[in-house]
Amino acid sequence: MLVTKLKLKLGGAEAVVELAERDAPKTSKLLLSLLPVEERARHAMESGREVYIVLGESVDIPEENQTIYQTVGDVLMYYKPSLFIEPGWPEYANEKPVLSWVYERDTAIMGTYSPLATNVVGKIAGGLNKLQAEAPRMRREGFGMMKLSRL
Amino acid sequence: MKRTARRILLDLDGTRATATLYDEFAPKTCEAAWDILPVTGRAIHANWSGREIMLHLEGEKILRLPQEMKVRSNFVTEGDITYFYRASQMSRGKQLAYSAQFQRELSEFAIFYGSPAGEGLSAYDPARTPYKEGVHVLNKFATIDRPIPEEFRLKCETLRHEGLKPLTVSRY
Repeated sequence: MLVTKLKLKLGGAEAVVELAERDAPKTSKLLLSLLPVEERARHAMESGREVYIVLGESVDIPEENQTIYQTVGDVLMYYKPSLFIEPGWPEYANEKPVLSWVYERDTAIMGTYSPLATNVVGKIAGGLNKLQAEAPRMRREGFGMMKLSRL
Repeated sequence: MKRTARRILLDLDGTRATATLYDEFAPKTCEAAWDILPVTGRAIHANWSGREIMLHLEGEKILRLPQEMKVRSNFVTEGDITYFYRASQMSRGKQLAYSAQFQRELSEFAIFYGSPAGEGLSAYDPARTPYKEGVHVLNKFATIDRPIPEEFRLKCETLRHEGLKPLTVSRY
């Protein structure tokens, strides 16, 4: 099976993502339908070394290829509690769909009170070291845009 | 809990809040913290424990204090200010966002400015429990005076997106 490759860009760093179409076909199809996607990147404040973007409210992520044991380089799609995204808890939506990736160990995606199962939709196959430098730099100097597109 | 009137001032990039020390609850930590004030540095936002900003203590301001209280789950809440210490051998992988000092040894003031406070991965982190002297120390020593100024909360939140900002903790 030919692996679909995507380009992940965070600020000045570029990486290659291999889509997990065999293990997560529905989520992969959904992600491809959203591309290219570009939003302001955010850093997790509850889960460790995770960078993410918030997707549109209408994005409907199926439960597929899930784990609570995320590892370095995983590309994830799931619903993140709004409380971790913006202050307060918006009444109209207590969770929002996100696209994220894990760039270091000591990371576990958290729900409000426990680890959260997330869809693994891809793996960073090249350029991880660049993201591992750019994400901490942005933590210090401010976050820019993140873009995911077809390679 | 009876509190004394000793208070501190937090000035985050020009936005201020005051806090009252827990002198009776954590007398050693309060005294040690008071003694090194004022402390100035660049605060960074937490990524394991919710709405928290941290001021890393460096050089002659580094504190190595004993554990002064029993730490239970739900130990911190909105407004709490804690002293946290972690020995170098307990470093948690590469910490490129922080200073070189942080790579060796972590001594910090942690300011929980909003909710969730301490509710993230750190609350379920076996590497941080149990708290042992010289390895991990966590002492709650002050609380931000109520109501917590909204402007201060919002300024803390901006660190997540805009990066480090200057923070001075001084006697008030």
